[in-house]
Amino acid sequence: MNGRYVVRKIGQAILTIFAIVLLNFLLFRMMPGSPERVLLRNPFLTQEKIAQVRKEWGLDKPLIPDQLVGYVKATAVGDLGYSLKFRGQSVVDVVASRFWPTVILIGLAEIIAIAVGLSAGAYAGWRRGSTGDRVASGTSLILYSMPYFVIGMPLIVIFAATLGWFPTSGMLTPGANSGSFVGQLGDFARHLVLPLTTVSLGLIGGYSIIMRSSIIETRSEDYITTARAKGLRDDRILRRHAFPNAMLPMVTIIAINLGYVVAGAITVEVVFNWPGLGTLTVDALSSRDYPVLQGVFLLLSVAVVFANLVADLIYGVLDPRVRT
Amino acid sequence: MTAPALPAGVRPVVVASPATGARGAIRQVLGRPDGLIGFLILVVFTALAIAPDLLVGPLQTAITGSGPRLGPPSAAFPFGTDELGRSILNLLVHATRISMVIGFLATIVTVVIGAVLGIVSGYVGGRFDALTMRIADFFLVIPTFVLAIILTAIIRDVLGTGSREVFGIRLSLLTIVVVIGITSWSSTARIIRSQTLSLKERAFVDRARVVGASSGHIMRRHILPNVMNLIVANAVLTFAGAILTETTLSFVGLGDPFQPSWGQLLDAARSVGAPGLGAWWYFVPAGTCIVLVVFAFTLLGSALDAVLNPKLRSRR
Repeated sequence: MNGRYVVRKIGQAILTIFAIVLLNFLLFRMMPGSPERVLLRNPFLTQEKIAQVRKEWGLDKPLIPDQLVGYVKATAVGDLGYSLKFRGQSVVDVVASRFWPTVILIGLAEIIAIAVGLSAGAYAGWRRGSTGDRVASGTSLILYSMPYFVIGMPLIVIFAATLGWFPTSGMLTPGANSGSFVGQLGDFARHLVLPLTTVSLGLIGGYSIIMRSSIIETRSEDYITTARAKGLRDDRILRRHAFPNAMLPMVTIIAINLGYVVAGAITVEVVFNWPGLGTLTVDALSSRDYPVLQGVFLLLSVAVVFANLVADLIYGVLDPRVRT
Repeated sequence: MTAPALPAGVRPVVVASPATGARGAIRQVLGRPDGLIGFLILVVFTALAIAPDLLVGPLQTAITGSGPRLGPPSAAFPFGTDELGRSILNLLVHATRISMVIGFLATIVTVVIGAVLGIVSGYVGGRFDALTMRIADFFLVIPTFVLAIILTAIIRDVLGTGSREVFGIRLSLLTIVVVIGITSWSSTARIIRSQTLSLKERAFVDRARVVGASSGHIMRRHILPNVMNLIVANAVLTFAGAILTETTLSFVGLGDPFQPSWGQLLDAARSVGAPGLGAWWYFVPAGTCIVLVVFAFTLLGSALDAVLNPKLRSRR
């Protein structure tokens, strides 16, 4: 891969992350709980005391560059301040404790959705106009129109409230941690099934629709005609020639889509009371815990930017045409 | 900017719509099954949104709700009741109005920001273009939903949520309109910009420039009419996205209980534990409405795309 391409992509990613930090800084100044506003609201504070505190916190210095530099430095070493709701805990600790449940949920859902969505889309596009295509495309379009939580709520009614196959909420049964590791894992898995199904279903629709049009576009390429002329079997052309090439744009789309998946996952976590970053976001929102909200925003943004960078680099390896 | 008097024959040229014109395009869209179905669904929801009071009476409150608590559908309450004894049907029709109006306003804000920035940066080019597109890319990459949550909360806390109303919509909900506009203009801007770039090189724009038309005049009279088709097609898809974003923001607790939207109803259903209690009637109607409307916009959007796109392709 061309070195300049890699450097440019990494440079862009760093710039984007810097812009996110800058935005976070500005939001901190706008928000109602900013230190100055809180100070000014207290009627018992003397002017001297306010001035002293402002000096202590560096608030007397100009916003740009002094305060901004201080903020960037603190963010760079992982100091995001303290949570307002979980008193005494740093934002990093609060966010870190909710990180893995979300990663497991989104990660597994992505794997399932990529496998199912891409195959369904490829099949529908290859057999364009067939009954199978109509059913797959119709289902995908309806799934695509559904917010994730609209998929999740009926699942609870059917599989948890009525049939009782799976628990309605949470990640582990409270108080049932006496069992073995295997037993705990089973408990975790039972809790995971419904939220995971929900996020996967939400993703499958979009992936399948895009894969379908990508395959349809690929079908008219010269190399497919060549493969046909060579007398290759139909499913072999699909698998070895059309599918890999139609996958190319999907790499980028899956990465870009991650930003939307995050939004969907937040609501699914709320529906199932899954203790991840989504429920943390909503809890922080309802108690106006801005430091935590911004910590979550920073973490998710950096994760999405990183995923996009990885996708760009993978794309560079897969498609020789972009290595300029 | 004074527009120079155009000599005869240098009328603004509209290349995007051929002889058939806009009316022809509409006929073509409605002639397709997907376009027609999408259109009909939207007609029904628009009718519901226009006069909810006439259809189901004024919005019920905790005081005027007269039904059983969380009662299943019955003859008196065809869609059942909520935890305060209010008719779900009543809430649903009123929510239709709120959701559709917010979606509509948010779409206008988004498309206007996107179209203006797209046309200007495509036409003017240079540093303005580079900066605008950088910002657009930034918004395309970051998880805008989380940003929307933070922005909505901050704007509300700063402005305070009084009971002031604009267009019959409470200020708290207008915040959502503005936030959706701020966070979702970028894809519109990108699409309009690339179309502007190709229009800019065409002969009729050169002609106008040679006769002495100002940039503002060219953008308004020559570029805008030619990207109008694209703007409309894009607005249809933006509407679907705006409804989904509004729903999701309301669902995480940023709705207004005094003016419930579909998302707000779903949030209420979730917070009283309706799914776990098996009270499906509380959330299925609102969920169905959301899916139907978004589905209708997607159908209409793809029909529009199919009608307008061949022309776009042949021009490349």
